[in-house]
Amino acid sequence: MTPMSVDVSNYIGLSAVIFFIGVAGVLARRNPLIVLMSIELMFNAANLALIAFSRLWQNNAGHIFAFLVITVAAAEAAIGLAIVVVAFRRSKNVDVDEVAGMRG
Amino acid sequence: MPDYVGTGWAATHHSHNVDPLLLAIWLLPLCGALAIWAFGPQLRRGAGVLATLVVAACFGLTLLDIHAAFASPSSGVGIGNGVPLGSWTTGFDFGLLWDPLALLWTLVITGVGGLIHLYSIGYMAGDKAEPRFFAYLNFFVFAMLTLVLADNFVGLLVGWGLVGLASYFLIGFWFYKPSAVAAARKAFVINVVGDVGLMFAIFVMFAYTGSTTYAEVFGRAGTLPQGVVSTICVALFVACAAKSAQLPLHTWLPDAMEGPTPVSALIHAATMVTAGVYLIARCAPLWDASPDARALVGTIGALTALTGALLGIAQWDIKRILAYSTMSQIGYMIMGVGIGAYQAGILHFYAHAFFKALLFLGAGLVIHELHDEQDVRKMGGLRTRTPVAFVAMAIGTLAIIGFPGFSGYYSKDAVIYAALERGYPALYAIAVITAGITAYYMFRLIFVTFYGRYRGDVPDAELGLAARPATLEPEAHHPHVPRWLTEAPVIVLMIPSVIAGYVAINGENSLWWHYFAADFATKPQVMPAPPLSEIASTLLVLAVVLAGVAVAYVRYGTAAAKENAVVRLRAEAAGMPQPFVRGFYFDDLIDALIVRPALALGRAFARFVDPHVIDAGVTDVARFAGLMGRELRLVQTGLVRAYAFVVVGGAVVFIAYFALLRFPR
Repeated sequence: MTPMSVDVSNYIGLSAVIFFIGVAGVLARRNPLIVLMSIELMFNAANLALIAFSRLWQNNAGHIFAFLVITVAAAEAAIGLAIVVVAFRRSKNVDVDEVAGMRG
Repeated sequence: MPDYVGTGWAATHHSHNVDPLLLAIWLLPLCGALAIWAFGPQLRRGAGVLATLVVAACFGLTLLDIHAAFASPSSGVGIGNGVPLGSWTTGFDFGLLWDPLALLWTLVITGVGGLIHLYSIGYMAGDKAEPRFFAYLNFFVFAMLTLVLADNFVGLLVGWGLVGLASYFLIGFWFYKPSAVAAARKAFVINVVGDVGLMFAIFVMFAYTGSTTYAEVFGRAGTLPQGVVSTICVALFVACAAKSAQLPLHTWLPDAMEGPTPVSALIHAATMVTAGVYLIARCAPLWDASPDARALVGTIGALTALTGALLGIAQWDIKRILAYSTMSQIGYMIMGVGIGAYQAGILHFYAHAFFKALLFLGAGLVIHELHDEQDVRKMGGLRTRTPVAFVAMAIGTLAIIGFPGFSGYYSKDAVIYAALERGYPALYAIAVITAGITAYYMFRLIFVTFYGRYRGDVPDAELGLAARPATLEPEAHHPHVPRWLTEAPVIVLMIPSVIAGYVAINGENSLWWHYFAADFATKPQVMPAPPLSEIASTLLVLAVVLAGVAVAYVRYGTAAAKENAVVRLRAEAAGMPQPFVRGFYFDDLIDALIVRPALALGRAFARFVDPHVIDAGVTDVARFAGLMGRELRLVQTGLVRAYAFVVVGGAVVFIAYFALLRFPR
């Protein structure tokens, strides 16, 4: 372990904090843009955890997973924003609770 | 007794020398049938010519291949050459068998069958579905050849089933006649009963011998327990009874007269009904090992002969008379092979093939001449109008009653005397009486049909004919085909009908007995001397036969009888005892014992089991699915955040379970 090293549990703790901030955002906020941002937070929390564990185990697979997550996140953002735009055009509002066309 | 598992048979059985001639004989009719099925509309009238050529070619190839049937593999003990064609698993080879028995049947099937094909070209001219008819005929020949040429019981079963199918096609050929459809269905169903018997026999023999080939099964026949052999024989005989119209499974045979006349000739003479005789002759080693089965088969055969003859008395339809005569003669054959007189039984098959084909084809000439009239009461005096038919049926009749010099004399006499010789005096008595009855009803047919005055113009009611149901049959129109086309095969058949029996003139020293020398054991060594000598027996049979003829002459042949034919026939029809008219109630018996209970069971199922068990089960499944759908629908709120909450909640529960319960610290 190098002198400048920080204990891995700190990274995991930070990752968990960021993740639950994201979860809270998804559950609590009604603005779709904020929800998307919250989801990005969750992705990045996961990335942080992946990199931390990768470092811990001296295994580069974690980095590769992180890159994959970033790619998927970018795609998800693109599609998510497109959905938001379409939903806005159709119903003229930006409240996720108002978009309930799938109700059974 | 041939040594079935000895060096000879088994050795050739496993060598791979496929006889191309035999393959061609077997498969040509199938190719013919397929070609006519495929190109029937293009062939039209050519279909009959093609079908006839195919069968004629088979006959020619059979003649060319005769020597192979006698090519005993090594020491001369083998019964023929089994040619393996393929093998699925060990002990289950399919091959062709070519021995004297198969050769004889093949000769009759293709020879007599070929003549019937030729006759059909003229007889079926103008029918709307001529190519279909000839495709069926060829298919029939193929099915029968499969039955005869297979070297194992499974191949036999396949042929057995195909013959039933082909007969269904042909009996129901005029499918616009409801009676023909009913007859075809009846024939098929009863035949399937026989198929089940055969299948059961195969199961039993496979269980005990581990094989289905003739060679291995027969080779072990002597070592099997008596009960097992008897079970196999009885099951085999169920198959024989259904196919060869033995009591009580004979009821399809008279109804099968609904098919065109050449079909009747083919079914009755060359193929199908003789399959039972073949099966018993082929399975001789099994029957030799089971005296019980012997007695059973002999008795049923004799009773069938008697029943058929008695019922033949009461028929008015020319073809039904012949149908019952077939049943009766097959009874003789079955009795013959059943009691172990294989040579005699097979000789009767061989002679019968010619004279029965002759009788049917002669009847066909009459029926054609009278524009599809089949009731003998509407005939009479046809001697001059259809001379060829008269001569044909006269020869056929003399042959079937066993008049000296004609083929039936030699064969029937041999069968009848064999019963006495082998110690079955009761069967002998029945056989002798039957011979007399046969003479009576056959001469009744001749006198009523060909002598006296033509009665076709007498109204039906005056003759005592029941009102006949109108059929859906389109107006029969027979285009003008040259008469010789139908008459030539009939004339050809006259020759063997007379001389076929000459091969057996010297009894056991004759060509016939030498032919089967390798196949069947001669008479058992120790046997009590029969109470009658062969000459005495022959004279007795002859006396009974002449008595039958005399009775027929008195009733139908005298000048007075011919003069008052109309009145007499009406009185006879009116006074016919009911049991005879109803065929001894066999149909009613089967109806009461099987058909009605089956129908009642079906109705009960339709009323209770189907709606309350099967339908109800299906409905309940559907109702449950609907209920679940209605209730679970409410979970879908459409709120994205609610879904997210469920996902998070699920994740929390999952993690909590693993962290706290599954892997606690």
